[in-house]
Amino acid sequence: MTDFFANFLNPEKRLFVGYLISAAFIAVIWLKIAQKKPLIEIVSGFFNYNVWFSKSAIADYKLMIFNQFFLKLLAPILIGQLALTVFIFENMHLLFSRPSSSIPVWMVMLIFTSVLFILDDFSRYLLHRLMHRIPLLWRFHKAHHSATNLTPLTVLRTHPIEAVLFSLRAVIVHSLCLGVCFFFFAGSVSLIEIFGSSVFVVIFHSIGSNLRHSHVNLSYWNWLEKILISPAQHQLHHSISPKHYDCNFGAVFAIWDNIGRSCIVSEKNQVIKFGLKNQSDNAHKLKNLIIGS
Amino acid sequence: MFNKRLTAKAVPLTVVLGSAILISSSAFARSNLYADFPITLKDYSGSATTSVSYKGQMARHALESSLKKLISKGDMSAMQSYYSGDDANRAIIAPATKGDFVIKQSTIGELSNKNLSGKTYKGLVPGWVGSMTGPEVVAFMFEKAAESEGGYDAAHAMDYTQLVSKFLMGAVTYNQAVDNYLDEKLEADNKPNNKPYKDGAAYTGKEHVWDEAFGYFGAPAHTLTISAQDVYNIAKQKDATVADWNYDGKVDLYNEMAFGHAYYASSFDKGGKTTYLHDIVGAYMDGRDLITAANGSALSDSERDELKGYAQTIKTNWEKVIAEAVFKYAGSTYKDMIKIEAILESGGDVSKEWRTYSKHWGELKGFALALQVAGKDMGATSVKLNRLIGYSPLLLGNTQVTGIDSSGEYVQSDAETWGGYMVHMLKVQNLMVDEFGVVARSNDQTAGLSDLVNSLGAKSSAEND
Repeated sequence: MTDFFANFLNPEKRLFVGYLISAAFIAVIWLKIAQKKPLIEIVSGFFNYNVWFSKSAIADYKLMIFNQFFLKLLAPILIGQLALTVFIFENMHLLFSRPSSSIPVWMVMLIFTSVLFILDDFSRYLLHRLMHRIPLLWRFHKAHHSATNLTPLTVLRTHPIEAVLFSLRAVIVHSLCLGVCFFFFAGSVSLIEIFGSSVFVVIFHSIGSNLRHSHVNLSYWNWLEKILISPAQHQLHHSISPKHYDCNFGAVFAIWDNIGRSCIVSEKNQVIKFGLKNQSDNAHKLKNLIIGS
Repeated sequence: MFNKRLTAKAVPLTVVLGSAILISSSAFARSNLYADFPITLKDYSGSATTSVSYKGQMARHALESSLKKLISKGDMSAMQSYYSGDDANRAIIAPATKGDFVIKQSTIGELSNKNLSGKTYKGLVPGWVGSMTGPEVVAFMFEKAAESEGGYDAAHAMDYTQLVSKFLMGAVTYNQAVDNYLDEKLEADNKPNNKPYKDGAAYTGKEHVWDEAFGYFGAPAHTLTISAQDVYNIAKQKDATVADWNYDGKVDLYNEMAFGHAYYASSFDKGGKTTYLHDIVGAYMDGRDLITAANGSALSDSERDELKGYAQTIKTNWEKVIAEAVFKYAGSTYKDMIKIEAILESGGDVSKEWRTYSKHWGELKGFALALQVAGKDMGATSVKLNRLIGYSPLLLGNTQVTGIDSSGEYVQSDAETWGGYMVHMLKVQNLMVDEFGVVARSNDQTAGLSDLVNSLGAKSSAEND
């Protein structure tokens, strides 16, 4: 259970309580100023029983708890990370000369933190796109898309096999980044951190990443939505409407979607129905989420 | 008079307490100084006042360190004289008096008139060209050193001063101690404790076996009373007052100087991560106390088992010291290769860095050879180590010495890329960690990488997009 609570207490996690509070704060400002909704309606919307105790949300919780146990089985993947990092570091010797002059530590930290963040985001986009485009992978990923109500906890509505793929992706990206950066910068490599987490990750989560899975359709200017994915754009990604299929795969940057011609900007006051076409309520049963209906 | 129940409790309690006192008192009884152990030999009638004697071993240390100086001069007859000669007047070239660090002895004969050739490991030396025995390796290196300038062959990046010095430390002192004195000579029928080591000697068989093994390690007799840093300073001739424990104003090479692997143990231990020096000397001291306590009687099987336990502590730690040195110089060689590559890419002159590269590789190779002459089969570890290091450093043009021809000239062949050989050095470091569990890890080229992976690495997460 400590792992379960760590989701809310660890600043590396999106559901960290601080990020939830900041998301709520941003939502209030957005709904009050941009959409001119009365405060009482906004606050009561946050605690809407029909959302938090909908079949969809309850399915989120079940899968979330199931995965807590399943994730324990992934430890061997993480143990392999050091071996992979060393393998990459060693093989860099065959491709490049190891630099002898050192550059300032702050610059190394900035490069490493940026490269890790960008590569991490790109690989998320790529895997996410594959989860949609490859039929076999879609069978797993549709468990996430069967959510008909979005709450911040929907982020953990993930099929266990998908969790394996996410972990493998993370291991490969981190190993690649560490192996390559250690080759060029040796012992100076470290992350620019806030609360023990990458500064960029903290910023991303602090400015409302949790609203991506919510009914708060916070959008950016269209030009900005071609660079950064807004919560409203991610809600389009969850739309049941065929015209929104396979759009906005990105997590932080919309640039990847732009290059991949899958970027759709949000519409003003868009009203979206979430879920999968023709899905029944049975889709929210744990058995069906895991084995398929 | 006593309540029976109380007595029933009191008796075992007394036994436990008594045993505890006995055990703790025996632990506290460890001697501090490896000197002045009494004569325990029954029927000894000579004039000696102590049973301790290991001057021959210290003479061999002085021969080794003097020889190191001679190799760089390339004088074949001088090298042979110190290796296999019998002139008692051979000067101790190193360590010699330096400022107020006054050395008591000036000739080998003042210690004991010995040589090194008779005690060099006679087995095959894996890892050196041409399937040679220990003495053949030395003879080959002497010839090459005499042919080259100052014991340095730039074309093959061979530094014979380092190669000979580090190899002999293994093939003579380490081998003699762990493969002879701390091995078969601990058996009951070999040099028993109830007989003199040899006729007329003031010491028993086992006393002298143990003392000779101690001498080969090269630690000062008072090591347990001083720090690893102190022993290091003694070896570097920085501090005569710490060395001179008998306050005669001179440093006695017999039992006040630090030599050989004891010096290397101190160099690693002073970093604070390891305690090889004191663990080894402590085990020597415990073993010597045990033999002395037998008071001239033959050791029982259980006493010999205990003694073998101390011997094992010594062997394991000694091996680790050499493995630490292999680790360290693999790291130095790697760093030299980064520098050389950078200079070559900018079109500069690498002769100075090439000299350092050759020196460090010579130390690496010498220690790697030393590791393999303990008289035990290291199996696949030995094969891996020798293949990774090769018969020479990687030379310009990505060639390496792969053998010798019929006239003893080196044969070169295409080998690894520059980066590939650097990876070999990393793998040598990994091998020392995996097979010997080295801890001090000087010049660790992947230091911090595993910590980075642990702290920044991926964590399992089911977070979706």
